Amino acid sequence: MSIILDQVTKHYGGVPVVNDVSLDIGDGEFFVLLGPSGSGKSTLLRAIAGLSGVDHGRIALHGRDVTHLTARKRGVGLVFQNYALFRHMTVADNIEFALRVRHVRGKLRRQRRKELLRLVALEGMDERLPAQLSGGQQQRVAVARALAHKPEVLLLDEPFGALDAKIRDELRRTIREVQRELGITTVLVTHDQEEAFAMADRIGIMNLGRLLEVGAPHDLYSRPATRFVATFLGAANLILARRTADGIQVCGTTIAAADRTPAANEHEVVAVVRPEEVELAPARAALTTNYLAGGVVEEVVFTGALERLRVRLDAAAHTPLLAHDGSDDNASELLQVTRTQHEQRGFAVTPGQNVAVGVRRVHVLPTPLSSFTACAASAQLAEALGREPLLVELAARMKTRITTRSEPKMGVAEALCESADFVGTTVIASQTDCAHRSEWLLRRGARDLLVLPAGATAPQRVLIHWMGEAARNATLAMSASVLRHVPAEAVYVGIFPGQAGGRGPHGMRELLDARSEAQAAHGLEMRTEMRFGEVAEELARRLAEAPGQMLIVGVTELTRFAERFRALLDGGHWPVLIVYRGAP
Amino acid sequence: MSFRQASVLPGFGLTFGFTTFFLSTMVLLPLAAMVLAAGSMHWSDFVHVVFSARALDSYRLSFGASFLAASINLVFGFIIAWTLVRYEFPGRKLIDALIDMPFALPTAVSGIALTTVFAQSGWIGRYLEPLGIKVAYTWLGVTLALTLISMPFAVRALQPALLEVQRDLEDAAETLGAGRFYVFRRIILPTVLPALLTGFSLSFARAVGEYGSVIFIAGNLPMKTEITPLLIVIHLEQFDYQGAAALGLVMLVMSFTVLFAINLLQAWGRRRHLQAASS
Repeated sequence: MSIILDQVTKHYGGVPVVNDVSLDIGDGEFFVLLGPSGSGKSTLLRAIAGLSGVDHGRIALHGRDVTHLTARKRGVGLVFQNYALFRHMTVADNIEFALRVRHVRGKLRRQRRKELLRLVALEGMDERLPAQLSGGQQQRVAVARALAHKPEVLLLDEPFGALDAKIRDELRRTIREVQRELGITTVLVTHDQEEAFAMADRIGIMNLGRLLEVGAPHDLYSRPATRFVATFLGAANLILARRTADGIQVCGTTIAAADRTPAANEHEVVAVVRPEEVELAPARAALTTNYLAGGVVEEVVFTGALERLRVRLDAAAHTPLLAHDGSDDNASELLQVTRTQHEQRGFAVTPGQNVAVGVRRVHVLPTPLSSFTACAASAQLAEALGREPLLVELAARMKTRITTRSEPKMGVAEALCESADFVGTTVIASQTDCAHRSEWLLRRGARDLLVLPAGATAPQRVLIHWMGEAARNATLAMSASVLRHVPAEAVYVGIFPGQAGGRGPHGMRELLDARSEAQAAHGLEMRTEMRFGEVAEELARRLAEAPGQMLIVGVTELTRFAERFRALLDGGHWPVLIVYRGAP
Repeated sequence: MSFRQASVLPGFGLTFGFTTFFLSTMVLLPLAAMVLAAGSMHWSDFVHVVFSARALDSYRLSFGASFLAASINLVFGFIIAWTLVRYEFPGRKLIDALIDMPFALPTAVSGIALTTVFAQSGWIGRYLEPLGIKVAYTWLGVTLALTLISMPFAVRALQPALLEVQRDLEDAAETLGAGRFYVFRRIILPTVLPALLTGFSLSFARAVGEYGSVIFIAGNLPMKTEITPLLIVIHLEQFDYQGAAALGLVMLVMSFTVLFAINLLQAWGRRRHLQAASS
């Protein structure tokens, strides 16, 4: 491995900008770090270059631990967005800079310079000053300069950002050719997904300081694991669907899911439908694919090769459409469709036309967090709960919706609830008899329950714990899903009965197992902590230690639940997400 | 070449006319009057005044101390400007404003304040005395006063130039293997050199012309701590206008020579830059 990052973390003012990033980049690989601005990708690149230190974790280049080495000793080449050429020096002096620093003899320097100028197609420009070159040429000089000392790793920080489209294309090609010719391990940082697709062997997508997913461009596009990646890489329609024994049920139509085996029990899932996977036809019978719903074309935009449409699905279909790309709120009611010339010739549509909508392919995200249901004793209380800042923020970040549900008899023993069918994550307000209400809801079928104190804000630290191995996988999956959407650090709290030292070695082993499973199965990087005592009490004590913490706790057993969880739930100032996976 | 360029201000004719008029009435005319006054002297009188031992000593002190003050400001002005440009710290704005204090203060006040602090019984002077260092009433005091009043010029000239030195440039140099000193010498210094020269010449010009703050701390011992502007005032007080004009002329010529030399140096630097570019 050429570059190894192990739990690299960097904070600015208490907020993690790079949050527990682990990554291996192979020899000669062209790796692209893709993410919106502020996602921490540039900070990570600077950390690899040694220009900013890390607070936690290790960085190794070619098997050498460089975590504590300064930039000048790391032997990397770095190219900046604004070129950062030395303006008082000629092109030749710029390129030879690294060689002069190393006291390379004049003849060798000239030789190397000629070689590099040929490589970036700038022969004969030796004596120009940067100011006399175009932007594209300046960036070529910057690339040549970064390669002069034969670095082991080439780092490119948005190198095309300041260039216009045509020059950008040319330079991309040049850089890719140079990279192949030299076989140098390269990391490119960009916010442009098209650029990432065009250049990368593998793409790593960052958001809120976390590295969400890593994979080949095609795999990430066709099988994203997270909402963010689904919507950030190209356009996507997110639809709330149900996973049943037969397949994926969307709007009353069941589509056989191609990519995963059916789950044991029915539950709500988030489905991704790419705009190009949607088919339009004059009538249901004319569709060659699975019928989704009827709809009305609202907008048709011709963009050359493709036609972009927005289709409003029939209200009767009751389609739980979430969002395309989060860019504007109105869009969430409209299905985004793109069609090729060929499709347009087959069936021309105009705005206002009624169409039948079909889908060729549905991809289901593995996230357990589909939607939120704010649940309270009355409709008004439920509405108010649905406006809680943390809940609104979470829903917005997850591009999902909040529905409300009133349960007038919540907590009354023997009372049945209005409907035993709990969809998504149920949310209740934190209050005095909260533990009791939680038990009531869990016993009646709620599987994921968020207990929310009034005025809670996004947590800075998420504590994770599960009681009973049956809940482990679900708790980790839930934690991973939550942590993709909040810039917080994840801490697994292992709690063992009795005093410190009693079960030391065994406990340690459990912590490490938990950590490696979170990493391997859910892509979740977390720290670990060991505590001793009674579980609920210890967790409550830990939560009280600092503000801005949240707990995700896995539960398998409801016996004496209210009693056991009173300390944790009743009037606590922290949000608690209970993941209940009882034995069936 | 066309002078008819679109601009917010009225056309070239008007602005150039005003520039000439303004420079003539405010600068050239008074200077010409001074030259004429000096010119009306007899040659031997002129030589007598200008090359008297007392005058020669005053030149040495005036120009020597000014040169020293400008040099000190170059170094410390650079450090102050660097600190203000590069770092965010509480009170930065306040310090930034304090830099201009010597501009706003009547120079005599600065002189009195310095004398109070550095006199033998002053706050600092009393601790320097046992070490055998006397500041007030020596050339050291003169240099100190000149440094104080000319410092804003160096800092203000350097600040914009340092803003131009992007941190990226240093980062780039560092990844290419350059150490801190190398980066300073090969990247930062060449970039800010024109500003350094400007800062130096402004500081120097201000220091040479300074009068108010120096006379308090200098003690004004003839041949020892007497600066040329003071000598001119002494001539004036004796109603020897011609003598004063003669000394003024010498100052004018010397100051002009120094500033002109610095300008040439800057122009040479620019030309060398362009030559490297065009070859």
